[in-house]
Amino acid sequence: MPLPRLPIWGITAVVDAMPWWLLPLLMALLVGAVCPATGTLLVTQRRLLQANLIAHAVLPGLAVALAVGIDPALGGVVSGVLGALLAERLQRRDGRSHEAVMNTVLAGFLGLGVLLIPLLNLRLDLESVLFGDLLAVGTTDLGRTLVAAASLLLLVGWSYRSLVFLGVDPDGAAAVGLPVRSLRLALACVTALVVVSAMAAVGVVLVIALLCAPVLPGLQQVASLRAAMVRASLVGVALSGAGFALALLLNLPPGPLIGVACLGLLLPGAKLR
Amino acid sequence: MRSPSAEVAHLRAEGLAYAYDGKPALSNVNLSLEPGSLTALVGANGAGKSTLLHLLQGQLTPQAGGVWLGDQPIQRSRARVALMPQRGRIDWSFPITVREMVALGQVRGPRTTCCELDAALQRVGLLPLASRRLDALSGGQQQRTLLARALIQPAKVLLLDEPCAAIDPPARQQLLGLMRQLADAGYSLLVSSHDWGDALDVYDRVIVLDGRVKADGTPSAVRHALATLTDLGNHCCG
Repeated sequence: MPLPRLPIWGITAVVDAMPWWLLPLLMALLVGAVCPATGTLLVTQRRLLQANLIAHAVLPGLAVALAVGIDPALGGVVSGVLGALLAERLQRRDGRSHEAVMNTVLAGFLGLGVLLIPLLNLRLDLESVLFGDLLAVGTTDLGRTLVAAASLLLLVGWSYRSLVFLGVDPDGAAAVGLPVRSLRLALACVTALVVVSAMAAVGVVLVIALLCAPVLPGLQQVASLRAAMVRASLVGVALSGAGFALALLLNLPPGPLIGVACLGLLLPGAKLR
Repeated sequence: MRSPSAEVAHLRAEGLAYAYDGKPALSNVNLSLEPGSLTALVGANGAGKSTLLHLLQGQLTPQAGGVWLGDQPIQRSRARVALMPQRGRIDWSFPITVREMVALGQVRGPRTTCCELDAALQRVGLLPLASRRLDALSGGQQQRTLLARALIQPAKVLLLDEPCAAIDPPARQQLLGLMRQLADAGYSLLVSSHDWGDALDVYDRVIVLDGRVKADGTPSAVRHALATLTDLGNHCCG
């Protein structure tokens, strides 16, 4: 069962009048813009591993939310952020390897989510959680992604210079008294929102590809974080649009095709031995 | 650029102690920085130099003793003490221009005016390179960018963590010349360093640290005092 969709009053009639491909295309373009912009922040803050953790840690929250009948996106966000906080706390408390703790929490939350599905008698299609179903997205999914985009804009608009400082010089940011932990928590929350909202379209696994791949080609050519975010978003929109069009032409699932296109983006110029 | 006003305060530490997970890093450290002085903080790796700088800036809280700027505890006046971090802690490939990096010095206060920014860049000789990306600069130019960022802060005391590490000798001379100019202009500078021997003569004062203050005085006095402590002297030669 894909994630349940909440009704958005007044929109249904408009959506019904649209060509069947327009809503999925809008979703693909929006996800293609929002994920790479968020990914640029994550890459420059060296928080990609945390984003990967969050993407996998949303599953227990989704399951519990479905079981108690609340919006599964809310459960996913809470669960994803809890996973990130737990990993950070464990790492700080014990001084253990950051990567080892992150990966262990990731595996633990993913396992818990998979266990909860039969334990709570849920009918949740794991394949759609992992790889998404772009052609089945609804207005609720679009709405969630717009909320994620708004939260990203809010974070960047409110804390742009602080995020730049934290990215280029974390010690210096702490030295001048910037609220480093609050900024990182805010970024984790926005990441969770973006991941959960993009899940319906491209799934948990492919969200990671869209968070990373469009960021990398231009990062060394731009002179500001803002320009890097815009450039990555444009690349992401082009990738998602092209992937969606190819999927229609070739009659293939668009989510995985966009993932493969992300990989293709990195290959030109690479020297394979 | 913000110049130090007449009310430059002394930075003073008394009985400082700090330990990591129960392992002592510093014990009973006492020092006072005079306005307008260029002081070297030398010691072997692990002697506690960076820990001391972070305590003096208020980023770490001592487990005993305290730090004051004038009459105020450092926690209330952190903005008036700038810490220039080790270059290994900076992400030099971050997409940022020299100008934007320097402007971060005022990230918490009102936005820096163009004049202030230009003055700081001019002072460290980087105004013509202001629009370049940070990773397009040489090591010495990058260090001068960090120094300009410290000058933008409303700070009278500059703590510099190994600013001359991993840069070539001409760049080092240029950086030391800048530090001297700043000290002459009234700033207090405490510079952690692996310098030893005659290289210390550029400083007004040298503090040798090895978990506690082993020697404190003019470069020649410190060299003389440490002549008997050969083991430490050997360690300090970085």
